[in-house]
Amino acid sequence: MPTRDTKLLQGTLDMLILKALSIAPLHGYGIGQRIMQMSQDVLRVEEGSLYPALYRVERQGWIAAEWGVSENNLRAKFYKLTRAGRKQLEIEEENWERLAGAVFKVMQTT
Amino acid sequence: MFGLRLIYTRLYGLLRKERVEQEMEEEMRFHLQMRTLENIEHGMKLEEAELEARRRFGNVGRIKDLGRDIKGGGFLETLLQDLRYGLRTLMKKPGFTLVAVLTLGLGIGANTAIFSLVNTVLLRPLPIAQPEQVVTLNFGTPGRGVFPLIGYPEYKDYRDHNQALAGLAAMGMAPVGLSNNGINERIWGLHVTGNYFSLLGVGAALGRVITPEDDLTPGAHPVVMLSYRCWQQRFGADPQIIGRSVLIGGRNYAVIGVTPPEFRGTELAYTPEMWFPMMMKPGLEVGSGPLKGRTSPVSTIGRLKEGVTWAQAESALNLTRAQLAREYSQTDKGQIIVLTQPGLFGAAMRGTVLKFTAVAMGVVVLVLLLACTNLVNMLLARASERHREIAIRLAIGAGRSRVLRQLLTESVLLALLGSALGLGLAYGAVELARFRMPVIFGFTQIELQLDWRVMVFTLVLSLLTGILFGLLPGLQATRPDLIPALKNESTLGGYRRSRLRNVLVVAQMSLSLVLLLCAGLVLRGLQSAQQIDPGFNPSQAVEVSFDPGVQQYDRERSHELQRQVLERVRSLPGLQAAALTAHPPLTSGEAGGKAVFIQGDEPKTATQAPITLTTSISLDYFRTMETRLLEGRDFTSQDDAQSPPVAIVNEAFARRFWPGETPIGKRFNFTTGKWIEIVGVAQNGKYSSLAEPPNPFVYLPLAQNYESKVTLIARGAGNPHLLTATIRKEIHGLDENLPLYDARTMLEHMDLPLAPARAAATALGGFGVLALLLAAVGVFGVMSHAVTQRTREIGVRIALGAGSKEIFRLIVGQGALLVGIGVGIGLVGAGLGTRLLASLLFGMSALDPLTFVGVTGLLAATAFLACYLPARRATKVDPMVALRQE
Repeated sequence: MPTRDTKLLQGTLDMLILKALSIAPLHGYGIGQRIMQMSQDVLRVEEGSLYPALYRVERQGWIAAEWGVSENNLRAKFYKLTRAGRKQLEIEEENWERLAGAVFKVMQTT
Repeated sequence: MFGLRLIYTRLYGLLRKERVEQEMEEEMRFHLQMRTLENIEHGMKLEEAELEARRRFGNVGRIKDLGRDIKGGGFLETLLQDLRYGLRTLMKKPGFTLVAVLTLGLGIGANTAIFSLVNTVLLRPLPIAQPEQVVTLNFGTPGRGVFPLIGYPEYKDYRDHNQALAGLAAMGMAPVGLSNNGINERIWGLHVTGNYFSLLGVGAALGRVITPEDDLTPGAHPVVMLSYRCWQQRFGADPQIIGRSVLIGGRNYAVIGVTPPEFRGTELAYTPEMWFPMMMKPGLEVGSGPLKGRTSPVSTIGRLKEGVTWAQAESALNLTRAQLAREYSQTDKGQIIVLTQPGLFGAAMRGTVLKFTAVAMGVVVLVLLLACTNLVNMLLARASERHREIAIRLAIGAGRSRVLRQLLTESVLLALLGSALGLGLAYGAVELARFRMPVIFGFTQIELQLDWRVMVFTLVLSLLTGILFGLLPGLQATRPDLIPALKNESTLGGYRRSRLRNVLVVAQMSLSLVLLLCAGLVLRGLQSAQQIDPGFNPSQAVEVSFDPGVQQYDRERSHELQRQVLERVRSLPGLQAAALTAHPPLTSGEAGGKAVFIQGDEPKTATQAPITLTTSISLDYFRTMETRLLEGRDFTSQDDAQSPPVAIVNEAFARRFWPGETPIGKRFNFTTGKWIEIVGVAQNGKYSSLAEPPNPFVYLPLAQNYESKVTLIARGAGNPHLLTATIRKEIHGLDENLPLYDARTMLEHMDLPLAPARAAATALGGFGVLALLLAAVGVFGVMSHAVTQRTREIGVRIALGAGSKEIFRLIVGQGALLVGIGVGIGLVGAGLGTRLLASLLFGMSALDPLTFVGVTGLLAATAFLACYLPARRATKVDPMVALRQE
């Protein structure tokens, strides 16, 4: 049975988090929403992967957390991209393009 | 920024663990709230919406666990965890821990103590401005050694005619008599030129330093600068000391300053207490030219000009030397100047000190290696005990590196505990050395210190040892052969482990054999030194030294005082004989060598003439010392300043210059002066060291060769200490201000040349016994382990009818093989290494068979004992139990 589930490649989630934060700081929930929105509802990030990924990326020093107030006036933890994170995003975008291109070529070969 | 934040996050995670927990909880609660709100927007009821949000989120606890691992599991927390766990494991095995810490403490302590000596002697820069620019000038001929001494006039030539040095100062040792608070003592001072302090960049802690204005006219500047220690100890740190007048050598000197506490002169082995202007040096020649200088040598210290290298300075100075030689049409060609660092009397002492240091460092590093080897062994044994624990930890998902890190933390912890103990031991040793040092070297006060370099050295050493003895067992223990380990089976890994342990035991055996052999040889050397005939009889004799010169006695008054002292002492009841000598035998560094010219066989230049040691003696010297006269006559009262010069030589002198002939009536002289006729021949003796071969020696009558510093030697029955006290009283009856020093029995005097060997024997012996114990423990460990591993095999053998004798032989045989290999390697190593000890052996062979056989036997016996217990245990194996075990 062919599956239409879109599983994320290992490490891709980290890149998506960085990308999602590249425009403005967001809280965890917002990051999930933003990724979904940017992928036009294709990619649904599971909470069980999202938070560990956030902590992992935070530990790398690519994002930094700060408490703030959400749009509906609740206390929420906001993440923002650090300078190192911005640099990392560039690198990952480049790598991704190369990888995606390569995979595309492979799949095109008949 | 990023780095700081990272550290901050991790510290935050570590220190605010609870807060992190809270924050994660709050963050997830917020997420659930947002999801619930969204669900309600999509038309769900509140309860349903909450449930869906929770279901979708998944297991909050599990995510929090993951988060904790990622956030809090930082380096620091893991470290703390490991430390806590490590401490607990160490506490659980107090015996193991105690032995390990003691072993390491001894090894590291020895290394630290020796290193602090090296640090003091070789590494620590002098407390002067830009010490790297300061050099000592050595003069000499290639191949004959160089000495850091020249005449004062010659010094002036170099000071004024060279391009390489920004300045050149001179200094000369000054033994002076200080009369202070009714106490008269001979203390060690230094005559320095007026530029000395400014050249070194040393200021005064109090008052002012000696300047060129204090150093203009001979005898006209009675000023003195005190060392900090002298000011504190002899003058009670009197704040009014500046300007005070002090009686030195019967003359009043004005105190002008006190040096900073850290400044102790530039020579390590000579710590002056007072500094005087050079012009106050008695008998200083102020003319010019090289030849006159010989009688009043000074040493020099120069500062290189900015930007001038060592080599440039050396060649520039040699150029100056050549020019000066032409100017004074000097006959000695081919002399050179060599620059050395100050601190070790120029080049003369450097080689010896370096060699000694290298040997000492070598020995202590050997001991540390031995301690490490033993620890590797102990940890290996423990690792095999903990094999199951480690396997379980690996099985439930700990990474290999994580487990390895835990094991390493444990061994480094052990090393740190050991080094703490070691530092304590080193501190004790240094205190002891500081306390003993003045006894061994009269004018040296080496300030041994445990400074930051030593601390860093110890820390690095202990970390290195921790890793060294921790890594190997760690790697072995975490080898991922999980299944058999969990099933409690012995594996091939066990075999590999024991092979490694075998290698270690062999290494230990050989190392401890080398150390024990060294200790044994030095002990034998000491023993043979006791039997060396020094050429005189030291028992029932005492000595007291005094120097009327330091009290400004001139030649006539000095002679008169010496005569009166002899007269008074000889009339004491119970006294058999008494005499004076300028240089008693076996006094380090006091007798000077002189170049000998034989009549009819004169060499062209002074540098080609053979050198001999000499002393000047009063009448009755040979009877007092019980040195035999073999030929000719003793000096008589007729041999005085008016009569022709005479000498008594020893056998070695006679044999060297007139082999097979009698030297009586032959004539020679020293460099210049009248011919001296030989009137007698005395037996050979030991003059500068007990180990020396028979050296030529010349005795001259004190009446014909004035020396101001003399030693009185008296022979009498009864308590020698009482005799010394009586003699002191008699001399002080003649001049109560005359400082007396080195008052002791001749037997005590004889102990001095043996002191280094005695210290070496104690140290080597201590380390050797330690090494033997370590090796025995090692052998015992390995054999016990082997018996445990072979239990089944032994059981089978017994079941098949092997007797306990065969089993015993089997186990002991295995041990004997290891010990045999170790001993073999050790013997070869010792055969190559012990010759380094030659100077401590007093002429005994470095391959002394008795020592080699004895020590090897001792080692073998100990090793056998260490094998015996495990072998006994092996014979008691119950075949039924052994076979059922698996």
